[in-house]
Amino acid sequence: MADISNKIEGVADLLLGSEAIGRGALEGGVNVVASYPGNPSTEITEAIRQVAEKMNIYVEWSINEKVAVETAAAASFAGLRGLSAMKQNGLNVALDFVSGISTSGSKGGLVLVVCDDPSGITSTSEQDSRPLARSLDFPLLEPGTFQEAKDMTTFGFELSEKIGRMVLLRSATRLQHARGRTVLGALPQEKRKAHFDTERQFVAFPSLPKHIEAREKLSQAKALCKDSVFNFYEGPENPELLIIVCGSCYLYSLDAMNLLDLWDRVGILKIGTVWPLPDELIKKHMASNQKILVLEEVEPFLEGNLKELAVEWASEFPVPTFYGRRTGPLAATGELNPDIIIQALTEILSIKYEARPPEYDRQAKEMVDRLVPPRSLALCAGCPHRASYWAIKNAEVLDTRDGFVTGDIGCYSFGLFPSGYSIMKTEQAMGSGPGVGYGFGKLGQFDMKQPVVAVVGDGTFYHGALPALVTAVNNQSNLTLVVLDNGATAMTGFQPHPGTGTDTFGHPAKPVLIEDICKSLGVRVDIVDPYNSEEATQKVLDFMNDEKQGPRVLIMRQQCALQMARSGKLYDVWVDQSKCVGEDCGCNRYCSRAFKCPGIMWDAEAQKAKIDEAICVGCGVCAQVCRHDAILLKPLKAEKGKDK
Amino acid sequence: MGNNTYIRGQKELIEEVHDTGLCTGCGACVNLCPYYATSMDKTVVKDVCDRAAGRCYAFCPRTPTDLESIRKQLFDPQDLTPELGAVKGFYLTRASNPEIRAIAQHGGTVTTLMSLALTEGIIDTALLAEGGGATLPRGVAVSDASEVPKLAKSKFIAAPMVEAFNLAAQSAAQKIGIVATPCQTLALAKMKMKPFPKNDNQIGKLHLTIGLFCGWVLSWRSFKNLLHQKVHQRSVVGLDIPPSKYKTMQVDTDSGLVEIPLDEVEACVREACKFCTDVTAEFSDISVGSARLPDGWEVAKGWNQVIVRTAAGEALMQLAKDRQVLEFRDVPDGNLEKLKQASVKKKKTALDNLACKSGDRDDLLYLDCRDPVFQTFDW
Repeated sequence: MADISNKIEGVADLLLGSEAIGRGALEGGVNVVASYPGNPSTEITEAIRQVAEKMNIYVEWSINEKVAVETAAAASFAGLRGLSAMKQNGLNVALDFVSGISTSGSKGGLVLVVCDDPSGITSTSEQDSRPLARSLDFPLLEPGTFQEAKDMTTFGFELSEKIGRMVLLRSATRLQHARGRTVLGALPQEKRKAHFDTERQFVAFPSLPKHIEAREKLSQAKALCKDSVFNFYEGPENPELLIIVCGSCYLYSLDAMNLLDLWDRVGILKIGTVWPLPDELIKKHMASNQKILVLEEVEPFLEGNLKELAVEWASEFPVPTFYGRRTGPLAATGELNPDIIIQALTEILSIKYEARPPEYDRQAKEMVDRLVPPRSLALCAGCPHRASYWAIKNAEVLDTRDGFVTGDIGCYSFGLFPSGYSIMKTEQAMGSGPGVGYGFGKLGQFDMKQPVVAVVGDGTFYHGALPALVTAVNNQSNLTLVVLDNGATAMTGFQPHPGTGTDTFGHPAKPVLIEDICKSLGVRVDIVDPYNSEEATQKVLDFMNDEKQGPRVLIMRQQCALQMARSGKLYDVWVDQSKCVGEDCGCNRYCSRAFKCPGIMWDAEAQKAKIDEAICVGCGVCAQVCRHDAILLKPLKAEKGKDK
Repeated sequence: MGNNTYIRGQKELIEEVHDTGLCTGCGACVNLCPYYATSMDKTVVKDVCDRAAGRCYAFCPRTPTDLESIRKQLFDPQDLTPELGAVKGFYLTRASNPEIRAIAQHGGTVTTLMSLALTEGIIDTALLAEGGGATLPRGVAVSDASEVPKLAKSKFIAAPMVEAFNLAAQSAAQKIGIVATPCQTLALAKMKMKPFPKNDNQIGKLHLTIGLFCGWVLSWRSFKNLLHQKVHQRSVVGLDIPPSKYKTMQVDTDSGLVEIPLDEVEACVREACKFCTDVTAEFSDISVGSARLPDGWEVAKGWNQVIVRTAAGEALMQLAKDRQVLEFRDVPDGNLEKLKQASVKKKKTALDNLACKSGDRDDLLYLDCRDPVFQTFDW
């Protein structure tokens, strides 16, 4: 990532949306940044983290999103400027506190950046965060360009400080991960000191007066944004069609307008202050347009609010015809892109536009079907989670009581798919594997005989599993909890967690070990290396058959395969093809078809298995999977390896 | 005959045998490949195999089986009887060695014959069941004759002996002897038919099959719970079921005998046993079971009834006689007839149960309704 502190005022740079928000925070004089990683939000905090020490900013990867916002809020209460960034799922975790601070108010500038993931490309939902701004009375800014991503962040602190309320900034995947032109502003010289004014209270009670106050603050925000530069019109005086757009759809709509050459027929009203809406500006444009197309990512939030206004103004001018995600022609779900918007415009305006001959699409599809092998989402070669799932799957089969796995969010969510043996039967939220597993463990009085194994990653254990584990001890739930411990918050880029023994900057920190927590709870706990397949299987089976009431915790500990790839293979692995049985009865390509590690390939010419040396990390598990001793190992790390 | 048999794969094995409750847990499909295992008294599918035809299906004693072809190929046609299969000889025997009798279930005949076969080099590896009672039995390989008596006694829960054979066949063992239940002897007989001539599981290494009379076996999980309930913490030394008029199972524990009503025990019988037509292990070289004597059960339980079926079995019995390791007594009149009646009763019940399951008397699932044996009695 770029060093976002090293840029010169007035110079244009190409910044990632994430970096632009980070730079905006620096220009806004941010003092404290506390976040929880999650795509597409992670790089904002990462960009600030990299310059934090030289700019005297406190940055942390918090234990979860709620603690992150609380940490940033404490800074605000002490008169500093605070920022917290998270993905849409994370906002749900933080929501109870977020709801509280909406009425308790804040002091120093406080910005909560929420990065939504339209289509849920790397998420379990495509939840739209914006309706929460309306229901909890927060001002909400939604950048349409990279410049705005930076400028709105800086402005967010100012607005927040002026009205004494947290401000939401909503970004989304494409803006976060693309680069665009951004003209930089000045970095402030002000050095704030933290001091809490004991004359003040930041409390959410009594509710009704506090709610009324929050509404008043929102009205102030509306007045302050009345002439905001983030809301503007581009286009002819009397267009045939008015596009009202917010967020990353703005750039898509520019592409569509340019490609269709519509600048003399269609106008664009770009809204940046999405809540509360700039009524007067909207009214002016709505009054003179009979057709309005609303473009936004995911929910028809803007569309619904615009329609509400149109009805309020119905006595002054006719309600226009609306097009959008609720009315059509746009799909009600899924991410938009310029092609979809072009399609909508051609339908509404009855334009003929052919980006390419129809034959092209047919041929492309035919070629893809023929040349691209179908691939499912898969765990990496050598992933310890695969080894763990292999052991858990085998233990559940051997147990014969129709056991199943409850799980949640992380790389280990691939337990949903064939590469993880489709082992995971429930998956909702961070920590819900243990939570739902706890619930199953209490169903004994209803004749529940199936053993339940809950899985949770090490990062997620700290983030969201502890309440479920504590209550499982307290209420004696019959639960086997397997912690899939790969030593990092691996999926989001190896951020530390309380167990890693390092802080956000890689400096030594006091580790809080999972096994110590379990011991302190009086829970049976054991640690096993999932790469030792048989031992791990027997251990899981033994834990599942523990007849004592209450939970037990098995930590399956092995470092992430990506770390292994960096630090060197455990083993050289190869196939002795003279021993490989191939597709004959007795094997039928067991290593690749059943074990499913992508590091194992099929040598079609020899009709035997072979190892893909390029991606094999040398975990050695496949050698234990092969019943014909055809997969051979040579230890490369003497202290760790064992000869087979 | 024969046109109802075909070889399919794992998918059909699961549909036709596992899901229907026909699986006997014999282990014929285990240790051939990594896809199956035996666990907690059940044959389990660990992973999905998409082969259209496999040895798992071919060897299973509950996939369609042409019993008549097997009888014709493995036995002397002159010896065949519809009730008991091949009978070359019928004997009452017990171990000459009183120490063996003392630790054996009944007369110690099986222990004696297996030890003899090892000692005489007829086999180099004996596969026997270990464990039983509330613990899970398993098949173990023994090459030292002195080890054989340690594994005496009936188990009441079937050890997956064919799984043990599949493993032993891949080992250095060259001449294997096995003690097996009727369903297990059928699986081994199906292997001998070599459905995959080039991939025959080295069945040629099987030199001796001693079959056990078997009315049913118990399902481990339910019997474990019953025993736990009845004998509490006492440790079980032995189990026996005296003749049916007693209607009880005797559990010998470290602090005395506990009797469990037989109907409670029978509630734990493995589902698959209801569909078995073979009480005397017809596809073995020698079949051994408990005896019935006019002297009463206290005497009879010290003896075995033995059916010799093949030339190999006959040779071993002759050797046992020559070496004086077995004692013989005259078979009372009517014993063979009573055994035939018991066998036919089992066959009829199983055929009824199969017809009931399929809903069609012409569809006996794994058996062929045209089998000549089934034509010889009304059911």
